[in-house]
Amino acid sequence: MVFRGGVSRLVLAAAFGMGLTGSAMAEDEIIIGGALSLTGVQAPLDEAGLKGAEVAVKALNDQGGLLGKKIKLINIDGKSDPVTVGNNAINVIDQGAELVIAPCDFDFGGPASREAQNANIVGISTCASDPLYSSWSLGDKQFTLSMWNTAMGATAAEYAFKERGWKSAYVVTDQFIAYTKSLSKYFTQHFKDLGGEVVLEDAYTQGAQDFSAQLARLQALPEKPDVIFISSYMPDLGTIIRAIREVGITTPIMGGDSYDDPSLFEALGERFGNEIYFVGHTWMGAEAHPDMGKFIELYKAQHGSEPDTSFVATGWDTVMLMAQAVKIAGSTDGAAVAKALEENEFDLLTGKLSYSNAELGHQPNKSAALIGISGGKPSFLGWRRAESQPAP
Amino acid sequence: MAVYVQFLIDVLSLGSLYALMALGLVIVYGILKLVNFAYGELIMVAGYSLFLLGGTPLPWLVMAAIAVLMAIGAGIATEYAAFRPVRSKSVTAVLITSFAFSTLLQNAALLFISPRARTVPLPDIFSDTVVLGGATIPLRNILTIVAAAIMLAIFSFIMKKTVLGLAMRAAATKFTMARMLGIPANLVITSAFALSGLLAGVVSLFWLGRIGSVVPGIGLEPLLVAFIATVIGGMRSLQGAVVGGFLLALIVTTFNYSLPPELLKFRDAFTFSLVILILLWRPDGLIKGPATGQRT
Repeated sequence: MVFRGGVSRLVLAAAFGMGLTGSAMAEDEIIIGGALSLTGVQAPLDEAGLKGAEVAVKALNDQGGLLGKKIKLINIDGKSDPVTVGNNAINVIDQGAELVIAPCDFDFGGPASREAQNANIVGISTCASDPLYSSWSLGDKQFTLSMWNTAMGATAAEYAFKERGWKSAYVVTDQFIAYTKSLSKYFTQHFKDLGGEVVLEDAYTQGAQDFSAQLARLQALPEKPDVIFISSYMPDLGTIIRAIREVGITTPIMGGDSYDDPSLFEALGERFGNEIYFVGHTWMGAEAHPDMGKFIELYKAQHGSEPDTSFVATGWDTVMLMAQAVKIAGSTDGAAVAKALEENEFDLLTGKLSYSNAELGHQPNKSAALIGISGGKPSFLGWRRAESQPAP
Repeated sequence: MAVYVQFLIDVLSLGSLYALMALGLVIVYGILKLVNFAYGELIMVAGYSLFLLGGTPLPWLVMAAIAVLMAIGAGIATEYAAFRPVRSKSVTAVLITSFAFSTLLQNAALLFISPRARTVPLPDIFSDTVVLGGATIPLRNILTIVAAAIMLAIFSFIMKKTVLGLAMRAAATKFTMARMLGIPANLVITSAFALSGLLAGVVSLFWLGRIGSVVPGIGLEPLLVAFIATVIGGMRSLQGAVVGGFLLALIVTTFNYSLPPELLKFRDAFTFSLVILILLWRPDGLIKGPATGQRT
């Protein structure tokens, strides 16, 4: 971290040394800069977000642009490396970016937001959900489009405990990144607050591809849990669920937005893809939002295929959120756009969204989509909003 | 009782895969004294071959055979692209080219397929279970052990009873001498890469069988596992690679079973501490191979 800060400050100094011509040249266009990762572990989430963002930029330009100017999107591959992400953010800001799209995670997206903050412009992560993605840690002009894990975990806990009456849970936490760890933490905390019992908390490490020992412990439990909560990432998420289902355990399984991946549904198939529920960002159908059909049409026209995950909607929403806030603010000035984001409610494909003020961390107030998997096919169970949330 | 059966099967099935992975790495290392860092990508190639064949009406065994052939092809391609042009010049150059080839393959998968996981077709038998001594065990784990035993038998037959195997063992002991006695260097090296690809291909079927899908970075863990297993077992010994693979699986599984969940997140730290202890006790690995010769 210290090393990263040092390097990027050095590069920043060099960028300033070379002159501040960048922001002056864009008179008739508004540049949105991105450092989304198209390679590495972060690529599955960021590539989808970027594709959605591209569709949004084209849609806005077809309608006449923003504040009478054309929008231009410049993204430089962040390579799933925090240092590269930070340097690329500096690069796009130097090219005149007035708004920054940050990668979909605190560990990888944070550096882009910090550079946006240093340049006094608004940065929004497409779907970082760790509560670390807040104005507290990143600055008063930084936001995330996603609900926090406090909301994601609480929504899952309330669905399990209140709607389904599941009283005992077995929790598996992938020790991979801040996201996987904090999601389990808030689920466990809220599930206990509601009166549920967590019978066993187990750990897993992404990449190990071996769930046998955890499975042995699960099978050895004297009393079977009512629900299994797994916070992990693809592809290992598929391994874990398959391993559990293979030995004939049909207990309901719950998780967060990382389940929203068609390759998971396929990997589980008809045989193992049952009784699985997760809290995600949205559902790619008209049930979630009346404009979803229009977005999918535009997406198909631009990219030539159906979107393969709902994460594409987070990219579209990030650009649309920026555009709406800029319209309200009447300029791309960082402070004015941040104020517009704090004071208004936005109707997005991923749900209605409003933010708390900077003192309260820019906590997103947002509904969550509840999705179930049955027979290997996902279906939309409706929007949910947790009645209360654990403190971050 | 049930838990012991489960433990035993887990160790043996994981160990079988680790041993085959390690063997694939060490067979090239033995001759060239160079680690092939593009080794993990052979598994990726086999995985994506399976994915691409997934839509076809071919029976699974045919798909699997093609996937293994693709891995062998990729192994030979590694030799031609990354090793042969520079191998006689500098060790550093080969290190870089093998890394470069690995990155090239990974990025090709990213670019032409997708960064998102892709599902591979699996036979139904991989998802069935059997009850053994009171424990429910995936049949795939038993198949893994059987397949590994067959592979090891074939491998040891090739190495011990055929001329090619003899040539390869000779080359691994003292390459210059072997060449002077008329063993064609390129043939031996290409064969080593092909065998390495065969092992990786077979491993990939069972490794992907656990996961159900393939991603561009799938090869990292197998490469790491194979590398550690060979270091424990002895970098110059084929038996050592097998022993190292099983031992690593035993260590990993034992920690998985015995560490409390709070400590489980530090499992790799425990594993590597133990590996360090083993190396302090046996700096050359558990089994010392033939005295090393000069690099080609």
